[in-house]
Amino acid sequence: MGTKQKYSTVGKRVPKLDAIDKATGRAQYIQDVKLPGMLYGKILYSKYPHARIVNIDTSKAEKLSGVRVVLTGEDIPNIRMGVYKDNPPLKAGKVRSYRDEVAAVAATEPEIAKKAIDLIEVTYEALPSVFDPITAMQPDAPLVHENHKTNILKMPWKLHYGDVETARKEAAHVVEKQFTTTWVTHCCLGTSGAIADFDNNNNLTIHTNTQIPSLAQKDFQETLKALGIPDKRVRVIKPVIGGGFGSKLDTYAYEHVAILLAWHARRAVKVLFDREEEFVATSTRQPTIIDIAMGCDTEGRLMFRDINMVLDNGAYTSWGVTTPSVMMMPITSLYRVPNVRYQAKCVYTNNTYAQAMRGYGNPQATFAIESAMDILAEAAGIDRLEIRRINSNQPGDETPQGFKITTCGLPECINAVEKVLDIEKPKTKGEGIGIASLIHVGGGARIYKSDGCGAIIKLDDFGKADVFTGASDMGQGADTVIAQIVAEQLGLEVEDIHVIHQDTDICPWDVGAHASRTTFVAGNAALGAAKKIRSRILELGAELMGITQTKLDLRNRHVVAQDEPEKTMPIGKLLRKAHFSHGGTMMMADFFYDPANENMGRDFRGNLSMTYAFGTHGVRLKVDEETGKVEILDYVAAHDVGRAINPMLLDGQVHGGVMMGVGYALTEQVILEKGRNMNPDFRDYKILTAKDAIPLTPVVIETIDPDGPYGAKGIGEPGCVPTAPAIANAIYDAIGVRILDLPITPERVLAEIKKKKGVDSCGIDPLTEKEQPC
Amino acid sequence: MKTFSYLVPKTLDEAVSLFESHSDRVMYVAGGTDVMVKTKQGKIAPDYLISLKHLSDLDKVKMNPDTNELIIGALATHRTLETSTLIRRQFPIIHDAVQHIGSTQIRNVATIGGNIVNAVPSADGAIPLIALDGVAKMYGPNGERTVDLIHFFEGPGQTVLEAGEILTEIIIPSQSSHTGGAYQKVGRRAAMELPLIGVGIVLTLEPDSAVCQKARICLGVAAPTPLRTLSAERFLTGKVLNEDILIEAGNIAAEESRVRDSIRGQAWYRREMVSVFVRRMGLKCLKRIEETN
Ligand SMILES: Cc1cc2nc3c(=O)[nH]c(=O)nc-3n(C[C@H](O)[C@H](O)[C@H](O)COP(=O)(O)OP(=O)(O)OC[C@H]3O[C@@H](n4cnc5c(N)ncnc54)[C@H](O)[C@@H]3O)c2cc1C
Repeated sequence: MGTKQKYSTVGKRVPKLDAIDKATGRAQYIQDVKLPGMLYGKILYSKYPHARIVNIDTSKAEKLSGVRVVLTGEDIPNIRMGVYKDNPPLKAGKVRSYRDEVAAVAATEPEIAKKAIDLIEVTYEALPSVFDPITAMQPDAPLVHENHKTNILKMPWKLHYGDVETARKEAAHVVEKQFTTTWVTHCCLGTSGAIADFDNNNNLTIHTNTQIPSLAQKDFQETLKALGIPDKRVRVIKPVIGGGFGSKLDTYAYEHVAILLAWHARRAVKVLFDREEEFVATSTRQPTIIDIAMGCDTEGRLMFRDINMVLDNGAYTSWGVTTPSVMMMPITSLYRVPNVRYQAKCVYTNNTYAQAMRGYGNPQATFAIESAMDILAEAAGIDRLEIRRINSNQPGDETPQGFKITTCGLPECINAVEKVLDIEKPKTKGEGIGIASLIHVGGGARIYKSDGCGAIIKLDDFGKADVFTGASDMGQGADTVIAQIVAEQLGLEVEDIHVIHQDTDICPWDVGAHASRTTFVAGNAALGAAKKIRSRILELGAELMGITQTKLDLRNRHVVAQDEPEKTMPIGKLLRKAHFSHGGTMMMADFFYDPANENMGRDFRGNLSMTYAFGTHGVRLKVDEETGKVEILDYVAAHDVGRAINPMLLDGQVHGGVMMGVGYALTEQVILEKGRNMNPDFRDYKILTAKDAIPLTPVVIETIDPDGPYGAKGIGEPGCVPTAPAIANAIYDAIGVRILDLPITPERVLAEIKKKKGVDSCGIDPLTEKEQPC
Repeated sequence: MKTFSYLVPKTLDEAVSLFESHSDRVMYVAGGTDVMVKTKQGKIAPDYLISLKHLSDLDKVKMNPDTNELIIGALATHRTLETSTLIRRQFPIIHDAVQHIGSTQIRNVATIGGNIVNAVPSADGAIPLIALDGVAKMYGPNGERTVDLIHFFEGPGQTVLEAGEILTEIIIPSQSSHTGGAYQKVGRRAAMELPLIGVGIVLTLEPDSAVCQKARICLGVAAPTPLRTLSAERFLTGKVLNEDILIEAGNIAAEESRVRDSIRGQAWYRREMVSVFVRRMGLKCLKRIEETN
């Protein structure tokens, strides 16, 4: 569905603007930022998953030379973090997980801070703990938060559209299965960190890795209010961020601790995570237990989908608890399904707490749905591609949840995978093919009252533009895409555009880098501002060149007359004329774009996004039936992207997303044993390496969305959404073994192979015939 | 991280005497890929690190033309071994192992000697060398001595090295004709991976028959120290080798292994992998013998 190239910059493979800075070490991460007289903060974590704090003795730490401040939960005002406001930055009275922050120190050197932390003596009284959400729901389970009265969070995640009971009775084929997913983590290469700094008027500047500068401002302001200094300015400065993936969508204890320490020290304080802390004290994707029932008629048309979910919330509540709101999207709207019921319970445990992570619940829900699609197809005797085609979403559909499908390339994505993966190619023994599709928001998502983003463009005397955007570039390349959009509108080159996104004192407001919304929303904001400037330049050009505006165009840094190519004027010259004249004008424009999408109502209906992104992944793999190991031979990822503004960055998003998905499917897990993180390093947390990269072909389906900037949809998250079910389906295709739990480790595959052969390797070891733990 | 003084001797004697004069908080360091990790973690806190990197000749890999022994200097890096044509052609089992240690960056600095002396159960480097009947040569305050590599290890992190002793060479005795070896690391990813189990096998056949003259089956991560599965070796010796025999040897080796559950893997799975890879590596040995003769 390619369109003819009529653009000079949009659609080009422009390398990321900061690529060379990053490769050569010029880029300044939080690790590199140093302020004069800065102190170093360090946090002491709990030694128990659940315990009463009987006593904290900080006297030895305070006496250590170089220590400036020691704080415990008793020393700080009432500050509550997270969506449920259940999480103080330093805990008083009791700890509820191993990652609970018990005390913090600021010292002149990082080593001293570390030593001081070791000198703090905490006396605990262990409490009964609960690590499994099912147990935690029992009436006699230990309470993680006593005043909450129950471990089940009071969240409204419950919907029922149509009539599932009747549809189930009428369905010709019904499948029912339980799937589980576990903790995985973002693995940002740049570890977390923040520097808090107060000026003489108690205004706060905080340098921090955040995806939500504007919302973080508000969180930090709350902390200042708690400190008794309301109405102060909070300036958030983002250094170069080494990866977000959702992990920086909330504010965290370490940021508030940096503020508290700086407040008491009257000096700048930096808190920087080491790798182990990054694993232990940042949040994960939420583990789920998913019961799904799904049915179709004799023709394979879906009749209902019925899903019950339990999510391990961990000890505190961040965005993880709201992921069911996004899970609703594939549950109600991936394929046409008239009757849908969904209920999710989020349950407190003494485990680590979950956060946003690329896909925001969608990978978990899609794992269950797309695995179940294959099981249903088999039950109905329908080809796996065919059942997906029969039920494919189509342009003009309105889904049961009220999503208005505008452009929809899902059928094309399915076709592309079939063709590029050469699905009919004969398979050798142990080889199998699997496919899975996805739906995701592609045109922003109205989570808050606003889904907006601002942009300001200012031109200099020489034809160069500064673009001030609310967007947060965390490595995904937002700056580059925004520069391309502005360059295209103004007839400039990408290198003429300087994008500034680092500083809330300078940049306009934005709701955050989430929901794959940046290209769509920040792109449209930049486009809006650029259009204003464009028309002013054309207006001025018409005046100076004596040609009517409609006959002028901006191209190659010039104003050009469309019909008389010899008549041109450099944009720089025009700008100088604008600035250096009586009654001159300043070439600056702003634009605030807030898409016309809708908040979900009480019944969760509403057109959440302006447009929806679709995609289909297909994988050919081989299972070693003696080891259970899966080798991916070929992978095709077809995505409906609206328009590829930058095909190179798009490839990057797809490659990165798929590799994240492959890790989710096969190797990655945060191993918690009774709440303790057992693999807080890259040696034992099995994120895939460059050597594990798979043969991957991204296929771009362009549907040119009428609402997207130059037709683009968001594509940040989709890459990792359907990977796990595609792989699980291919394993089934290869060896007839269905794995219902992630990650699909060789152990799990081999155990299932043995079970199928009638040997129970988990219960009885076939060699020693002794009982084996599983 | 604690600071330390870094000493750079040029000869073995100088190294040993530096060690003796700082005896308490002193340590040898080669590539530092274990030492520096542990120092940063605060697990060790040496005041002095004596670098062995500048001892001449100890980083070489060569054949002794008189004895036909392979001499591997303890300071040879994994990368040196990986890229050595001699190793790849005549000792592919060593190549099998070193090429998958850590990453290229790690292999560029990490040494085979450091790998052996570090003596963790999950190390890759020693297994093929033991299967090849390697001998460790050491030099220390009391002069030089040798010990069979299989007897070098006393426990996790513990070896027969006495204070101040330096591992200088690994000597691989001359190999009979009709000998083939192969090693497999069983892991979850393609790089930066410690083995769940490591299987190294060397088989020697009688000339012009498939009768096994000598068998070495050496396992990593199957016990606190590298483990030779002697019953499985005995089982193979004197038998005409084929897949069925190797399957049986695999089962015997699996039974002999003392694998455990850990967060990295479950015992039942490790045991299963022993039997699978003893067979597979055995077959690979046979193939390699066939190819070279
Ligand atoms: C990222 C990473 C990945 C790794 N992957 C693997 C892997 O896949 N497989 C594997 O087996 N290992 C792996 N390792 C561990 C390590 O790289 C190896 O054990 C390496 O061979 C150690 O060699 P070195 O020269 O760096 O030893 P060093 O750290 O310098 O020394 C290790 C120990 O040996 C002593 N020592 C060194 N040389 C001598 C000598 N000649 N005589 C006496 N004592 C000596 C030192 O005092 C120290 O106690 C990995 C390490 C890292 C950091």
